[in-house]
Amino acid sequence: MMSFVLRMAWRETRAGWRRFGYFLTCIAVGVGALVAVSLFGAHVERAVNKEARSLLGGDLEIRLSRPIGPAGREVLDAVGERGIALRHVSELVAMAAALPPASEHGQPTQIVELKAVEPHYPLYGSVSVEPNQPLATLLRAAPCGSGAGAANSPNGMCHGAVVQESLLIRMGLTMGDRLTIGDASFVITGMIRTEPDRVANAFSLGPRVLISQDALQAARLVQTGSRIRERYLVRTPPTLQPEPLMYELRGRLKSENARVSVYRDAQPQLKQFLTQLTRYLGLIGLTALFIGGVGVATSVHAFIREKIATIAILKTLGADSATVIATYVTQALALGVTGSAAGVALGFSLQRALPPVIAALFDSDLLVQLGFAADLTAASLPPLAKGMALGVLATLLFVLWPLLGIREIKPAAVLRRDVADAQPAGENARRRRRPDRLTLATAGSIGLGLVGVSMWQAQSWRVGMLFIAAFLGAVLILAGGASVLLRGLRRSPRPAALVLKQAVGNVIRPGSQAIGMTMAIGVGVMVVVTVSLVERSLLTQVGDRRPADSPTFFFIDIQPDQKETFLRVVGDRLPDVAPELTPLVRSRLSAVKGEPVAPEALTEEEDRKEKDGEKEERRKRWYFTREYVLTFLSDLPKDNRVVAGEWWKPNQRFDRPLLSIEEEAARALGVTIGDSVAFDIQGTAITAEVSSIRQVEWGNFSTNFYMILSPGALDDAPVTYVGTVRVKPADEVRVQQAVVAVLPNVTAINVGDVLQTFATVLDRLSLAIRAVAVFCVLAGALVMGAALAATRYRRLYESVILKALGATRGAIARSFAAEYALLGALGGLIGCVLASLLSWALLAFVFDLPWALQPSVLAAGFIATIVLTVLVGFLSTYRILGHPPLAVLRHE
Amino acid sequence: MITVRHVSMVLPAGGRSITILDDLSLTIPMKQTVAVVGPSGSGKSTLLGLMAGLDRPTSGVIELDGTDITRLSESAMARFRREKVGYIFQSFHLIPTLTARDNVAVPLELRGDRDAADRATELLAAVGLADRVDHYPVQLSGGEQQRVAVARAFACRPPILLADEPTGNLDSATGAQVIQLLLTLHRDHGTTLVLVTHDPALAGFMERVVSLRDGRIESDSTPSSSWAIPLPPDPFP
Repeated sequence: MMSFVLRMAWRETRAGWRRFGYFLTCIAVGVGALVAVSLFGAHVERAVNKEARSLLGGDLEIRLSRPIGPAGREVLDAVGERGIALRHVSELVAMAAALPPASEHGQPTQIVELKAVEPHYPLYGSVSVEPNQPLATLLRAAPCGSGAGAANSPNGMCHGAVVQESLLIRMGLTMGDRLTIGDASFVITGMIRTEPDRVANAFSLGPRVLISQDALQAARLVQTGSRIRERYLVRTPPTLQPEPLMYELRGRLKSENARVSVYRDAQPQLKQFLTQLTRYLGLIGLTALFIGGVGVATSVHAFIREKIATIAILKTLGADSATVIATYVTQALALGVTGSAAGVALGFSLQRALPPVIAALFDSDLLVQLGFAADLTAASLPPLAKGMALGVLATLLFVLWPLLGIREIKPAAVLRRDVADAQPAGENARRRRRPDRLTLATAGSIGLGLVGVSMWQAQSWRVGMLFIAAFLGAVLILAGGASVLLRGLRRSPRPAALVLKQAVGNVIRPGSQAIGMTMAIGVGVMVVVTVSLVERSLLTQVGDRRPADSPTFFFIDIQPDQKETFLRVVGDRLPDVAPELTPLVRSRLSAVKGEPVAPEALTEEEDRKEKDGEKEERRKRWYFTREYVLTFLSDLPKDNRVVAGEWWKPNQRFDRPLLSIEEEAARALGVTIGDSVAFDIQGTAITAEVSSIRQVEWGNFSTNFYMILSPGALDDAPVTYVGTVRVKPADEVRVQQAVVAVLPNVTAINVGDVLQTFATVLDRLSLAIRAVAVFCVLAGALVMGAALAATRYRRLYESVILKALGATRGAIARSFAAEYALLGALGGLIGCVLASLLSWALLAFVFDLPWALQPSVLAAGFIATIVLTVLVGFLSTYRILGHPPLAVLRHE
Repeated sequence: MITVRHVSMVLPAGGRSITILDDLSLTIPMKQTVAVVGPSGSGKSTLLGLMAGLDRPTSGVIELDGTDITRLSESAMARFRREKVGYIFQSFHLIPTLTARDNVAVPLELRGDRDAADRATELLAAVGLADRVDHYPVQLSGGEQQRVAVARAFACRPPILLADEPTGNLDSATGAQVIQLLLTLHRDHGTTLVLVTHDPALAGFMERVVSLRDGRIESDSTPSSSWAIPLPPDPFP
């Protein structure tokens, strides 16, 4: 029997392979999208893992948020004596000023991301610079010679600075020009292309400037309370495993609040970002595959209709339904395998084409730096195999239902002359009768299969369930909406014009597949329009909706003794502007409710427990171990609302520090009014009692705090101030320049620039999402093509009859166009409505943002859909128009 | 023995129902040749189809070789048909996607024969189509297609052959060839042959003629002498 099934399946495929073009393409497109995404993800991850040491900068990294204290210094010295290499890297933002004040095109001052390194940096990987000289040589200090730099520098020495090209462009400088940063003078000696331990530079405050540690000392930027990231990179000898040293250092540097991490866990954020991005892009790919599945079902349905006679004959010859179904399932599986293989090939070639596109788009050598290779290796196998398996599984799931109709075909169908009329047996009989056990079992296994496939792709049962629920919900709404609209069309009077009457008739006639096409088009439209709607809403939120009174500048790292100067400098230039100064102190939690907080795992076992923890657990932990910027204020900041306890009263006397804590943080830390929270403020401890819990409007672009202490609580702490200033756009450069000139250690962060950077990142991200979403549209177009191909013969016959009756080719073409436009309008309309719903859900539940109607995006989506459907429709049916009537009618 | 007992067939048609067979009973002993004749719409094709188990009667019982086929499930019926009944259609109903050989091989393959293809080639040679084995139905003439259909119907050597107007779509010369073929099978293999026809000449070759009108038997006669047609020696291996 098996041999019959195989042989028959092969014969049927051999005889009709042309018919399966849409079937194969539908699967190939979905699988291609999935494979391209997951293969790229896997290859990037492999590159990240391979380059883990250079990404971290060493085998181990010790990270602090303030200069290391004497005790810590001793620990590090002891480590150095054990033959372990150690390099000190400091990172901070600072202001660079051109010397002499720049040419007309460049701006005189610019925020930069400063990185100070020791000779022989880096320990792993390499810094790529221009000219191609050792970094140490380029960063060396040399006499400034004549000119402004010499006058400015205390000892007539200029340090070398290697900068990112964007700094030169923005400030209008060239190599050899001078800069001041803080109190030191620099000469630009080189341009930096890549650095090993800076990868995710998608979001940065300014261009990179690389200088030596000596130069950083000379610049005198690092003062008490300055915002800085101190890193010590460690290279262990090959004989020594880095993990034991990590646990040892974590223990010994506990009082320094140092974080110690090993290269194997390097770049957790980058990895997490990649995983998440791959996962969600993969789900969009899966959507494309599912839409393609609708096309597969349509093709198979049409195929079975054509095969009714053959199936009936097979049954008269003694084949039972199981044998016939097995035959066509086998055939579908073979086609699924072929389509998936084509999809795998497509995905692989797409993935190979990606790196140059990404490099151009993101203007980044990131992939080169990572040593990204698109070639096939062992790491490529799982994504390829998974794509193949998902393609075949999806095929199976989508063909089962139409193939079930085979059972309803009676051998007696051959007896009736009008075989074609006997065919509704499949659809109608099933609808009329109560579903039998097999039908229910098939429906159940298809449902379970779809859920399983989704979970597999999502790598999470929750996300998988959500995805499939959303997908099925969308499909149901689309099918329901389409059938309501079609019913409305059927009830309403037909248009008088023949062209339109024919078009409407073609859409609403039984067996027109209009619902299937609308569904497929609608899902594609929904995905693409949703991406645009969410992006637009996010941009509106951060850009246009910026409160009118939100600050333009944050001036950070203002020292207590610079307060007056800062106010005077700003006040002199802009008398009507009132800068606000808020005190800041960096701290970490040392104890909550008397329980000491363990900053990091001290043993392997603790480490494992931490990593295996639930997401919720890890999120909670983040609240315990993160750095808190503390402030003390007498008045409740704006957009803050006390939800428990009460804010301190004016002139209240505090016999111990009181703490107002943000709601989410309070929940994560498990504290409530009256509980004690202890902070480690750069070595000194403060214990405060929670006296109020606040709700904070984080999106208001002001200085917001998780923890606010009562006035006086931080009197002895190393406080710096952040100044917020709101100025007119025309005054921005003037103010920034004035402050930097007088207070070189103060950094000006322009909110507009940050938002601009954010918008750029968002734009690129949504471009990536949209690129995958295009596959959904492509799949939708294919489904439409498949459905139209299924009605090809009927159309041909009708069009020749119309021609025989005197209709011109143009009239028939117009009627087709009207029909496709109508289909596009149906799908586009419902798709846009669904996209609005989905974007509302995403904004409300994921981004926690208000939703607003975006008429322009919706209109564009709607119109684009109609254009696309007319285009696809014509591409799949234009050949019909050319047939001479007699040739077709003779065949009848 | 084919036994048809009180069989009725009522089909719905546009809200009403049409009685196609009306409480019809008929017994056909094995190895008999029977012609079922009658005007269009008299129910003769439906009767033949029901005897092959292609559909189920509205009421009544049909026994083939002692098995009540009206009580078989669809799958069991398909398997039963495979072994016991060969069916020949007026319009041949070859599977268009299969070659002549593959068409003949289908029932053999369904039965699980390992040498189905060789058997099919022999059968085609027996019906005079040795040079046509790799042709598709569209490449064959009507007479050739019907000979392929006969070879297919006889492939599993069923004891019963049912033929529905087997010459209806053929000219008289090719029709005669097909009749010769069927009668040879009866003569040499003892096959029970029931054929539906409205051609009195064809009916004349049969041992018994059953005439239907409005779903009932109008007459059932056994002519003293059936017409003779010269038959070739048995071609079937």
